[in-house]
Amino acid sequence: MIELNELTDAAQKAFPAGALSPLRDESWELVAEMGWLMVRLPEDDGGLGLTREASTAIHFEMGRVLATTPLIPAQLGLQAVLASEMLAARADWLERIAGGDYVPLHLLPAKLETAEDGAISGTVGGVFDADMAAAAVVRLPSGYALVPIDAPGVSFAERPIWDTSRRLFDLVLDGYAPDPTLMLCDVAGAGPLHDALAPEAHLALAADCLGAANAALELTIEYLGMRRQFDRPLAMFQALKHRAADMKTRIAAAEALLWNRARDENATLTQCGAAKTLAAEAFVFVTEEAIQLHGGIGLTEEHPIHRFMKRAMLNLQLCGSPDLWNERSGREALASLD
Amino acid sequence: MTDTPDLDALRSEVRAFLQAEAPTNWRDASRTQDDFVATQRGWFAKLVKAGYAIPHWPAQFPGGGRGLAEQKVIYEELAKADCPRLLLSFVSTYHAFATLHECASAEQQAEYLPRILEGETWCQGFSEPGAGSDLAAIKTRATREMRDGREVYVVSGQKVWSTMAQFAQKCLLLVRTSSDGPKQAGITYLLMDMDAPGVSVRPIHQIQGDEEFAEIFLDNVEIPVTRRVGEEGKGWAVAQATLASERGLTLMELSYRMRGALGRVAALIRAHGHEEDRGVLRDFGALVTQVDAVCAIADQFLDNRIKGIERMGDASIVKNSYSRALRAYAKLGLRLGGMTEQYIAPITFGDLNTGNWMADFMNSYAWTIAGGSEEVQRNIIAERMLDMPREPKSWVA
Repeated sequence: MIELNELTDAAQKAFPAGALSPLRDESWELVAEMGWLMVRLPEDDGGLGLTREASTAIHFEMGRVLATTPLIPAQLGLQAVLASEMLAARADWLERIAGGDYVPLHLLPAKLETAEDGAISGTVGGVFDADMAAAAVVRLPSGYALVPIDAPGVSFAERPIWDTSRRLFDLVLDGYAPDPTLMLCDVAGAGPLHDALAPEAHLALAADCLGAANAALELTIEYLGMRRQFDRPLAMFQALKHRAADMKTRIAAAEALLWNRARDENATLTQCGAAKTLAAEAFVFVTEEAIQLHGGIGLTEEHPIHRFMKRAMLNLQLCGSPDLWNERSGREALASLD
Repeated sequence: MTDTPDLDALRSEVRAFLQAEAPTNWRDASRTQDDFVATQRGWFAKLVKAGYAIPHWPAQFPGGGRGLAEQKVIYEELAKADCPRLLLSFVSTYHAFATLHECASAEQQAEYLPRILEGETWCQGFSEPGAGSDLAAIKTRATREMRDGREVYVVSGQKVWSTMAQFAQKCLLLVRTSSDGPKQAGITYLLMDMDAPGVSVRPIHQIQGDEEFAEIFLDNVEIPVTRRVGEEGKGWAVAQATLASERGLTLMELSYRMRGALGRVAALIRAHGHEEDRGVLRDFGALVTQVDAVCAIADQFLDNRIKGIERMGDASIVKNSYSRALRAYAKLGLRLGGMTEQYIAPITFGDLNTGNWMADFMNSYAWTIAGGSEEVQRNIIAERMLDMPREPKSWVA
């Protein structure tokens, strides 16, 4: 626990609450300097060898400041490489990644076709910050592989999103000839690798949601305390206090579930997806209320509260919508309660 | 959760006891109020004997002297084994105990505490028709007089929402001895015999057919001054000890029980052939997650309490999380049950997740209204946790 507190303190010093969405490239350097790129890299591989709780704590703090630096796809990329038994130069890649090379896992589906000569064409969705990537971890028809961004037949195109705290790209493959030495796993291994990484992705996103939701609530309470109408601060009106209390309650329950699942190494993919769903829905609820409670200023770009709402809406969709995960949770619970 | 070896040992010990002794047919034996009371008394006596009824009492009492972590283990196991909740004895072992232990004289403690273990039942005479969320507004009057050579308070008034007062022998009573100054200042705390002349009890018929609460009417009831806890006019502080007696175990226990009862919803889904209805599966999945989150937060609350890092407002968050999940649970069952649930079916006393969905739905309001309503909890969260300002106190009609 002391370890976690230290991480949190360090994160709050490096990324103070007042500075929302600090510049991406500077943040990336800072993150690399602090060793966060190798938080989950085992000590034997030269990393910090910290637990899922530790990375969850970091993602929580990154959410709080609406971080622009793509730590979640980076961590997942690292873990994909780490899990690979096939990658020839695995140790070199791990070293490069720990040293600051950005190798993200794509977070949206890939639509790819393989030609007769083995060349691959199509679109890989959900590559965050492809412009700063050295390579991406991509699910090719033949299995997961590292795809160098500067390889022939590889280009990227930014897909502007409402959430301006992040940058999302499509990776476009046009007759890309995959390098066999860069394969992480074959087709048979792709499903298991996906399912091994997915819980991590859900916990990281849930943490991002809840760190940000807390920050949005704090901003809202600050605003309600400062804004005066009818000769009193808005925060004095019980109708508004009750809404703030409900925002806090939703966040607190989702946080309790997140930490419970982060600590539980036996938590299933569906259980982690459920924790992310609850967190993302709490984040959406909080930011939806936050804009309403800010009144007119909440609709202007002058005030940052809208940025939280936009991140919430994106987070809700990443790694599967609530419909998908609620259905899976329901199905699994039904089967287990036979 | 990792248990220290001590807790593991306790857990196995409790499990072994429950395996042998846990009542299995208690729901069937709780279809009427009288049967329910008999079931409760029997189970309480068994737990007292086994040493698991009063883990929070001091060590001088058999089965007492256990820390919160140990209490948590006991309650977890009671919930997992689906034993009856100790409802009838709850006010006695928590509210009466805490009040007596923290605020009463040595004589009063010696007189009353051992009798609780023998099954003497207490009720709480706090709320009144005009004093619910605003408890300090009580009007039940007590005047000090000499009667037959002894000094007594003569009490008249009405109490309401007194849990199972119709079965109680003793009452924790808040009365007004003065109307001067702030309303909290004129309150005095008394211990009353329920069979004293002038006391009459009328059960409250609740909307789901239960009679869990009663009204208490007081007509010139004489209570000896020696039965006062604390000083005259200082009863409000004593009442705080009563109300703070519960340490979060109930909500943890209830959350675990609700999780255990999710199978009732699953059974409905199957009974109505909804296994492939994606809308129903989503609603069920969302409920499962909500209940899991309530279990996690109730658990975390107790762990924080054990570590001494609980924050103001945490308990309110747990209560509102639980009560909302309980409502959602009952509503989903009621919806899925369809028309069937509109025909009156027998209720089970002393259980919140019975599978009689209309009754469970109505019963779920007990948790958004009693014990500090949802709205009062929201005020606590907003004002004491989020530091939002209180509304101005005075109001002129």
